[in-house]
Amino acid sequence: MSFWRSSFARCGLVLTVLLAGLGTCWADPRTSNLWWMPENASEGGVYIDQLMWFILFLTGIVFVLTQIVYIFFIVKYRARKGVPATYSHGNNRLEIIWTAIPTAIFIGLWGYSNHLWWDVLHSTPPANSLQVGVAAYQFGFSFQYPGTDGKLGKAEASFVSNDNMFGNDPSDPDAKDNFTSSVLEIPVNRPVHIRLDSKDVIHGFYIPQFRIYQDMVPGRMIDWVWFTPTKIGKFQLACSQLCGSGHYNMKADIEVVSEADFEKWYQEKAKAVQPQPGAKLTSVTETKDQ
Amino acid sequence: MSQTIVHSGAETHTGTAHHHELSFFHKYIWSEDHKTIAIQYLFASLFFLLIGGLLAMGVRYQLAFSGQPIPLIGSLLPRWLVTDAGAIQPQGYNGLVTMHATVMVFLVVMPLLVGVFGNFLIPLKIGAPDMAFPFFNALSFWLFFASGIILLSSFFVPTGFPAAGWTSYAPLSANGAYNGSQAGQSLWCVGIFINGLASIAGAVNYITTIINMRAPGMKMFRLPLPVWALFITAILLLLAVPVLSAAAAMLFFDLNFGTSFFEANRYGQPLMWQHLFWFFGHPEVYILILPAMGLVSEMLAVFSRKPIFGYKAMVYAMAAIGVLGFVVWGHHMFVSGMNLMLSSAFSFSTMLIAVPSAIKTFNWLGTVWGGSIRFTTAMCFALAFVSMFVIGGLSGIYMASTPVDLFIHHTYFIVAHIHYVLFGGSLFGIFGAIYFWYPKMFGHMMNEFWGKVHFVLSFMFFNLTFFPMHNLGLNGMPRRIADPSLYDFLKSSQPLNIFVSLSAFGLGLSTLIFFVNFVYSMFKGPKAPRNPWNSTTLEWTLPSPPGHGNFPVTPTVYNGPYEYSVPGMDQDFLPQNQPAPEAARVAVH
Repeated sequence: MSFWRSSFARCGLVLTVLLAGLGTCWADPRTSNLWWMPENASEGGVYIDQLMWFILFLTGIVFVLTQIVYIFFIVKYRARKGVPATYSHGNNRLEIIWTAIPTAIFIGLWGYSNHLWWDVLHSTPPANSLQVGVAAYQFGFSFQYPGTDGKLGKAEASFVSNDNMFGNDPSDPDAKDNFTSSVLEIPVNRPVHIRLDSKDVIHGFYIPQFRIYQDMVPGRMIDWVWFTPTKIGKFQLACSQLCGSGHYNMKADIEVVSEADFEKWYQEKAKAVQPQPGAKLTSVTETKDQ
Repeated sequence: MSQTIVHSGAETHTGTAHHHELSFFHKYIWSEDHKTIAIQYLFASLFFLLIGGLLAMGVRYQLAFSGQPIPLIGSLLPRWLVTDAGAIQPQGYNGLVTMHATVMVFLVVMPLLVGVFGNFLIPLKIGAPDMAFPFFNALSFWLFFASGIILLSSFFVPTGFPAAGWTSYAPLSANGAYNGSQAGQSLWCVGIFINGLASIAGAVNYITTIINMRAPGMKMFRLPLPVWALFITAILLLLAVPVLSAAAAMLFFDLNFGTSFFEANRYGQPLMWQHLFWFFGHPEVYILILPAMGLVSEMLAVFSRKPIFGYKAMVYAMAAIGVLGFVVWGHHMFVSGMNLMLSSAFSFSTMLIAVPSAIKTFNWLGTVWGGSIRFTTAMCFALAFVSMFVIGGLSGIYMASTPVDLFIHHTYFIVAHIHYVLFGGSLFGIFGAIYFWYPKMFGHMMNEFWGKVHFVLSFMFFNLTFFPMHNLGLNGMPRRIADPSLYDFLKSSQPLNIFVSLSAFGLGLSTLIFFVNFVYSMFKGPKAPRNPWNSTTLEWTLPSPPGHGNFPVTPTVYNGPYEYSVPGMDQDFLPQNQPAPEAARVAVH
């Protein structure tokens, strides 16, 4: 009886593997990109991918070993006539071993992750970074570039309003030649330092190819995100935080272009600029609430 | 640990003798018998499981066949959900996603584990006549049931289901103008608040019962692991749920009375909602898995015919999870805009909480090792639980690592992760436990053949549904997007989405086998003996089902809960209420 039952269980297992395999084949070799991450297109993404592979390697080993041992036990120790179970309440030495080793591994993994988090991804943006303001609203994105002076100027969340989506400080003259764009146009191989804010609800700034995600929170000006695109091409910015009925289609185009092309686009835009509606000079005193 | 033994009216209580005929109302509606309440919870939450499953089918239908009318029922559905042609609308999709998760978390997995097995097993396993506060117990069920009706009633309001996700992130959730369903969101707040009251009433009851009403000899370290798990869970509930209730009340005020706790444009703090929600939400994750771990541990020991490997290590690991569970909530918020230093700290505590889960897994392997395994349906689900939990646990490490989280945070990777833990973990554990304790609850055995069919199909379709979601996530598919084909970088994974949806339909259908078996066996299943699985714990010393008041004579406990295959004994199990025979050469715990 038990033999039939255990072979029943094993049949199920084999069947699953087979079906999973079939599923894999069926669900298509048409594209290169079905099973793994989209090709990385930013400098920081290289490190994230390395860490990802490292974790995959680590968890892969644990996964394969535990499942093999487990299935081996299940098959080997199926009930058989005349073979009693071992009477054992455990083994303290084993408990210590399998507590200590995972603890060491996890703390090590934290060290690696945290180093990357601070020293690479959230280090101070380089001085030659292109400053871009990103504003989100139900349901779209808008981008703000510094005018010919190269400075976005001060901005604060408390200034964000329908007329001043980027929260520019009205008393800061640096902001008055800023211009906006509906496309995120950026030069390749130059760091881009973005400043994120939202007008209404929480939105997400997510570009999978750049391995970047940051929530855009109303009432907060988030200025620690920067990245360096490394590939010329068209990408898409997706809102990845549920933000309402139009969330499913809230996106923006990103164009990574050569430095020369960017310069051309930038000069044209900058030349045509009128001072931003939200950037007109008034005598509002500067407040620090961040 | 505590050697205190509390005599719970042991001498006087005489079980069935004390039983008197109850009116229909008191026997079936307002019953204060913990076993009846458990069964009420079981019927109600299985009903909600059907609803939650249907909502999931709607979600998967939309992701595979966006814009196509739902066959047969499409035109009958309300207009907030579907277009005139019967295809799901984006706002309706947001509602489906929100309510699928809300129903599954608050109305299915939580009540199935805590409401059903907490109620049914705690008094029976510790040798008590009932819960400490039977009235609160009945109240708890009816509050829970009311919360379910309130939550689901938003289906009938003109703006439909709440549509801000089960996490209800403010300010989207805090303003009807933003979320498009003021009424639905308000009902959500009320429902969650009442649901919280039910949980708190239950938690107080469980803690009191376990501390005060153990039979003589039932030391804390002789408690069966499900009772330990439920004890720790009840403490988590008591500390975490009030926070959610408070947050839901504040959200309700923001929505309806013009306060501004969470709305930035009126000087509120959107992130405060997230902190409150996840301060509840992360312990909640352990509330949803710890009892399943306890139930599975027991089934593994029973059907391996072995004592549990490392009983105390199991208890300490659960306690560690309980404590650490309160300092990891920020790992849901690495990219929320909170201070980056906090992300580092929460990443560290999250790495640490993986350790007790690893310990438990190794001890399960140790329990199976050297066993004499009986492949009953219950055991199949228990075995599958461990395997699936390993996958769910390992995929959690990716998110715990802050830089990797930047990439996969709000993608289908996390959807895969949560379902491996909550479906492959908790729900598989629940299915196993239902097959295991059904005889004790209803006095009939469930059909083993159809149980196996249910298991094999569920196991297959579960993996075919949720494993590819890891890949969808790695490809960058965000959660909660009604139509992924609108994004250039997601077009390539659309075939995989269709595959996942078809598998999900298979999973939905295979669950129906369980429902048929469940109902059929109640009437036509073979009569259950007292102890069909040759198990050691106290509930199996009673008739199936046990009478009102449980134990005719309060049992005395002599042994630990899992004395199987004790050398020198004729039978391969030593019930907790039997002293070890002289011949047994090994000192039992």
